[in-house]
Amino acid sequence: MDTKNKLKRILVEDLNLEELTPEEIDDSAPLFGDGLGLDSLDAVELVVLVQKHFGIEIKDMEEGRTAFQSVNALAAYIEARLAA
Amino acid sequence: MMRIAIKGIGAVGGFGCGAADLAAALARGVGRVTGLVVPTAQGELQLPAYRAETERLEQFVPKRALRRIDHYSKMALLGAYLALEDGGLLGSDLSRLGVVVASGYGATSTTFAFLDSIIGDGDICASPTHFANSVHNAAAANISIMLGAKGPSLTVSQFDMSVPSALVTARLWLAEARVDAVLFGAVDEASDLIGYLQHRRCGPRHAGAIAPLAGGESSVIGEGSAFLLLTRKDDTPSYCSIDAVETGSLYHGEYSAPGDPLWLLGADGRRELCARYRAAVPAQSRVACYAPIYGSMPAAGAFDLAAAALILRSGRAYPIAGAAGCDMHGNAVPLETESICSLRLAGDNEYAAVTLSRRGE
Repeated sequence: MDTKNKLKRILVEDLNLEELTPEEIDDSAPLFGDGLGLDSLDAVELVVLVQKHFGIEIKDMEEGRTAFQSVNALAAYIEARLAA
Repeated sequence: MMRIAIKGIGAVGGFGCGAADLAAALARGVGRVTGLVVPTAQGELQLPAYRAETERLEQFVPKRALRRIDHYSKMALLGAYLALEDGGLLGSDLSRLGVVVASGYGATSTTFAFLDSIIGDGDICASPTHFANSVHNAAAANISIMLGAKGPSLTVSQFDMSVPSALVTARLWLAEARVDAVLFGAVDEASDLIGYLQHRRCGPRHAGAIAPLAGGESSVIGEGSAFLLLTRKDDTPSYCSIDAVETGSLYHGEYSAPGDPLWLLGADGRRELCARYRAAVPAQSRVACYAPIYGSMPAAGAFDLAAAALILRSGRAYPIAGAAGCDMHGNAVPLETESICSLRLAGDNEYAAVTLSRRGE
């Protein structure tokens, strides 16, 4: 499974977005606010999930802010960190 | 001692959802036993259990707002909403509403999932959501936050004595005029942990009905929540009043209650308590046990209070199928008394007695 699809499955299953399927998540839509509707508590959970599933620790707030903009942005961030 | 009124009932469990479903199950004399599958190192255990469903909560709270709330807190939240609705306070100003929740075991599914995640993935990967749901006051906090209740919010956990202890607190808040009303209730969950403990305690168990006073081991795990909306006694209609709450040690076997109440015993098929329940009530007393409706769990004391309130309002006592040792069989019968004494025993000699009556209704 590629990074984007894995991320979308994690978002739906681990953040309990029961009204959505992974396929319904728009890769370019904002994760927070008007897009997927996640909030600050989800951001904390997402930091933990990225570390648990991809082994990547997000320590820098600015890095996280950029990475958490969308599924596309987060997948690109994860792939770049894994390649480094 | 100040009398308090039961204004509303909300309950969810193996019998269904709401006071009407509880009354219907009491009238039928039997609850619905399904099952609990417990994974162990030796394979899956299939245990009988009464399970609660919480889909109706979406009538009160948007589904999205429930996504971080676990099954344990959902059961409590649904019971609380149903009690408020039944008492006519849903949508009212709840700034002077207190919330007190009793639980024998707490949120064991979430708590152990949280601990497992620490063992499996390290503490840095522990889920913040699981942590939030595992803290002691999670269910009461969810209720207060969702309802906008501004009064005190507390959880009391003292195994089988959790319910009477929490009720003492609720009475105190009302007596102090610290609040105008209290959502008082209890919740327990049929989790893997509880199933495993039951299996270790009792061994393999057939799916027969609970026989509360029959003498053998017949307990079946229950889960659910039962909430009562309590206010200071006034003249407005209510189910009944709670006249006394007493806890202590019962060394001499028999408990003495004023008048000639219907005894509602907390006997739930646990072998070790059966003989003590039999000895605790005076000879020739009329007794009922409703554990076969909702199962064996520490929170069952709150279901007993809800059942007592339904009986006192209807004036008819309910039969119990398969409850050997009880004398409430067959069709519902006139209550023929003004009061009910709900008696629970625990430990070596602990007891709690709650007296409810329809005096002055």
